Amino acid sequence: MLVLRDLQNQYTKFRLGYLWSLLEPLGMSLVLWLVFSVLLGDRALGLSPYLLFLSVAILPWWWFTKSVNASTKIFRRARGELAFSALPPQIWVMRTVLSTSVEFIFSLPVIVLAIVLTRDLPGIYILFFPVAILLQFLLLYGIGLLVSSLSVVIPDLARVVKIVVRAMFYLSPILYSITNIPQSLQSIAAINPLVGILGLYRIGWWPEEHTTVVSLVISLSVGAALFIAGIYTFHRLKSRILKEA
Amino acid sequence: MGVIEFSHVSLTMPRTKRRQGSGRKHRLRRFAGETSRTMVPVLQDVSFTVNKGESVAIVSAKPLMRTSLIRLAAATLIPDSGSVTRTERVVPMIAIGRAMGPTFTIRQNTYLVGALLGMSPEELTEKLPSIIEFAELGSHLDRHLRGAPPGARQRLAWSIAMAVDADVYAIDQTLVVGGLEFRQKCWSAVDTLRENGATFLVSSDGAKQYRRFCDRGLYFDQGVLIADTTVPQALALAREARREPLGE
Repeated sequence: MLVLRDLQNQYTKFRLGYLWSLLEPLGMSLVLWLVFSVLLGDRALGLSPYLLFLSVAILPWWWFTKSVNASTKIFRRARGELAFSALPPQIWVMRTVLSTSVEFIFSLPVIVLAIVLTRDLPGIYILFFPVAILLQFLLLYGIGLLVSSLSVVIPDLARVVKIVVRAMFYLSPILYSITNIPQSLQSIAAINPLVGILGLYRIGWWPEEHTTVVSLVISLSVGAALFIAGIYTFHRLKSRILKEA
Repeated sequence: MGVIEFSHVSLTMPRTKRRQGSGRKHRLRRFAGETSRTMVPVLQDVSFTVNKGESVAIVSAKPLMRTSLIRLAAATLIPDSGSVTRTERVVPMIAIGRAMGPTFTIRQNTYLVGALLGMSPEELTEKLPSIIEFAELGSHLDRHLRGAPPGARQRLAWSIAMAVDADVYAIDQTLVVGGLEFRQKCWSAVDTLRENGATFLVSSDGAKQYRRFCDRGLYFDQGVLIADTTVPQALALAREARREPLGE
């Protein structure tokens, strides 16, 4: 119910409504494609076709940013609702993650468009795509619990999260491929849980790029650790969250 | 065995202290750990039992205390120590209108708030006509709450809460708003429910109208349960406490 209201709020505000969830990442991909592929020419990062390479990673990235940034405000927005509703407070976190997920699913046609434009069909490994979606969903839920409950106690966290998210854009293989990083640094880069997930998104098109099993394991276990930390923190701070409501 | 049992409940709530100093001074103080956010004790070792079919008035001068007590009873707040047990579902009737969105229609808001109170969509569909009728909003059902007549929000809040299938209602005084006519309708609805054996927990700062329908009064001062008596007596205590500081 809450998810529906969120989406409605989102889509009725602007005239183009739903189209914006297509246009926003599309525009972003186009700009980045222009800069990194057309303007920078031969010093190209990533793998070709670059437009597709970019959009496959940009969409999940968009989802990640939206969800994490929204997490900082969850309980501040839900104040009035938490005061009288006996539903478990996790629901508000789940709602935020779910509504951003729906937006992400809605924006998937951008990838289809990129496939059509570049005529590059994915291989059998595309089967990992849904797995990546599921993993990212769990990751976002864990981070959501962590960030939302902490930001009740530390309101300044919202600003910090913004900066961290911005930094992660450049630290994650979105503009570039994990293979652009020197071999020695690859396993350090893999501490970022997004590395593994983005690798799984891309594996359908570029199996040769695929992150080594080791770095995949590292990055997924960091993700799992975040998930557990999120649940733990949330339960520690639960009564405080309710008090602030 | 009571419907709601408080045993040795203590609670502190965060409250913003008045800002001290301005600008940099204030910020420095916050930085030094003298935060403007402090925990104030709200309840101290409170124990009481509400029995089935009773109507209990919570008489206290502090609105924060009254609201917290209602939220504790309805399990939307966890006590710091002690425990609150309940055998039935408790409907907290506090500031429900805050959860409504002005850009949603009355119908949507009904479903939203109803769901938050734990009703299923099917249940709500079934009860929608009676809710709307009680709130006197029949002709505005598909209009935005923003454009609905004044008081619609409060009327709707009350009507939805009343529609929940529960035997225990915890009412905050501040929810009783709207025109005189509607208020009377609310109280007569409460009377009907009472006759059917529902239990009520009413928060009040000592208003007279509770005298006629509560049969027990709990008087609190500084978060401590002072007296568990009849309503007139609790109200008398509250009056006395109000008078005392003036007499100094």
